[in-house]
Amino acid sequence: MAAPKFAFLLLNLISILPLLVSSFSVDRPTDRRILVLLDDLSLKSSHSLFFSSLKSRGFDLDFKLADDPAIAVKRYGQYMYDGLILLSPSTERFGGSLDVEGVLDFVDSGHDLIVAADANASDLIRNIAAECGVDFDEDPSAVVVDHSSYAVSETEGDHTLIAADDFIQSDVILGNKKIEAPVLFKGIGHSLNPANSMVLKALSASPSSYSTNPSSKLSSQPPSLYGTAISLVSVVQARNAARIMISGSLDMFSNRLFRAGVQKSGSLNKYEKSGNEQFITELSKWIFHERGHLKAVNLRHNKVGESEEPSMYRINDDLEFSVEIFEWSGSSWVPHVSKDVQVQFYMMSPYVLKTLSTNGKGLYHTSFKVPDVYGVFQFKVEYQKLGYTSLSLSKQIPVRPFKHNEYERFITTAFPYYGASFSMGNYVDVSTKYMIELQMAGFFIFSGVYLYNK
Amino acid sequence: MGRSAATKDAHALFHSLRSAYAATPNNLKIIDLYILFAVATAVIQVAYMAIVGSFPFNSFLSGVLSCVGTAVLAVSLRIQVNKDNKEFKDLPPERAFADFVLCNLVLHLVIINFLG
Repeated sequence: MAAPKFAFLLLNLISILPLLVSSFSVDRPTDRRILVLLDDLSLKSSHSLFFSSLKSRGFDLDFKLADDPAIAVKRYGQYMYDGLILLSPSTERFGGSLDVEGVLDFVDSGHDLIVAADANASDLIRNIAAECGVDFDEDPSAVVVDHSSYAVSETEGDHTLIAADDFIQSDVILGNKKIEAPVLFKGIGHSLNPANSMVLKALSASPSSYSTNPSSKLSSQPPSLYGTAISLVSVVQARNAARIMISGSLDMFSNRLFRAGVQKSGSLNKYEKSGNEQFITELSKWIFHERGHLKAVNLRHNKVGESEEPSMYRINDDLEFSVEIFEWSGSSWVPHVSKDVQVQFYMMSPYVLKTLSTNGKGLYHTSFKVPDVYGVFQFKVEYQKLGYTSLSLSKQIPVRPFKHNEYERFITTAFPYYGASFSMGNYVDVSTKYMIELQMAGFFIFSGVYLYNK
Repeated sequence: MGRSAATKDAHALFHSLRSAYAATPNNLKIIDLYILFAVATAVIQVAYMAIVGSFPFNSFLSGVLSCVGTAVLAVSLRIQVNKDNKEFKDLPPERAFADFVLCNLVLHLVIINFLG
């Protein structure tokens, strides 16, 4: 993409009203600098495949121990990192100036977060997750156990290593390629807060799973978390486009499980390689805005036949509306093609709701007639699709009623009144003024002739 | 017993009114017919507005006012022309009719302007 095109796009971006967009530089939304907090520096080598895939995509990873006193995400009011990965499930307190509030502020300002919990998850991690809408099992020693969907393995017989394949159905979040092999998971489960509409299950447990302490006897009460209510990996997309991934297993990211073969119990398929690497890689692409990030530019409207944007419309005018929507492909903006973008002509409720048609190059357009009501309207585009950032655009425009000389000359519904006054003896018609002038002329001629006639 | 007496009185009243009215001169009867026609037209217009709605309200007012206005002018004409009226004994009926025509002209000038 040439620089002039960037400048042109940027200029157009400035010329429109509130536009929810990521907090990074507007024309390159992918994160660059990521802070990784670890419990134990050996994670750098035991999870090296994950980190090297991130590095190969161009991210700058900054590794720190979770209780390192030099940790600071913010300096002089500016954030020093674009993303945060917390692989420190057992840390009670972060070092330096970071705490739960600090992490939440980081996310609120539009940055991304990956959190991994584990069987010994501390309250700190549980609190962070709870603030994001994800509730881990309250029993600190409970892990997810599944007696019919576990991964067949020689060493572990307690069925805590699960082979999960209930993925979220979204090409944006998990990529175009289907994940063939199940994902190996060993850790704690969580449930989603039902009041939260922005959190989604990326990987959910099978209906036969439940959360319990595997080394103690089963209590008489049923477990609090069971079945498909258990989510193993959840994602949250906030309204400011910040994306969060919360996983109940740290081992899921490890080299050991990336490379392991997997065979789900009860099925004959034996896969050479688990789906972990593909799942984690594709999900991290979505989390760090390499996919599914939209921007809308150039919201324009004009009367049919004109090219200038008027400052006011009249009722029953015909107008055209257009907007351009682009999607970040990881390295450049490409046109976003979709059949379901809609525009509303809105004043307290949408008077007109039309689906925009696209030309395939990112331009969405439509034309409609201004409704018969006058007032101050807004063109509103609200686009919320699973996995994509939400677009919320609006532009205000007043609509005026007819001026008194813009009505039809003879109004059909008023014909009875015309007829009534005609029948009452009103024989003066539209051309009264001509008749009056004629009369005056006749009068003058008559007086002239009469007076000057001998 | 009281009811049949009442209806008999009503009948008697109606008949006496009718015979008295038959005695009025013809020109007054013509004016009365015109007034009735004007009022009926006004009522029809109001009914039409009640059904269809008052969209060109100026046209509605103009139409109703033309009917009511000519009715009022016709009533004044009838008063002035009536020979039994002592007050207008010296007024020639042609003058009264000329006034009626001129006032109607002014009224309809206003009406046609407001009709839209």
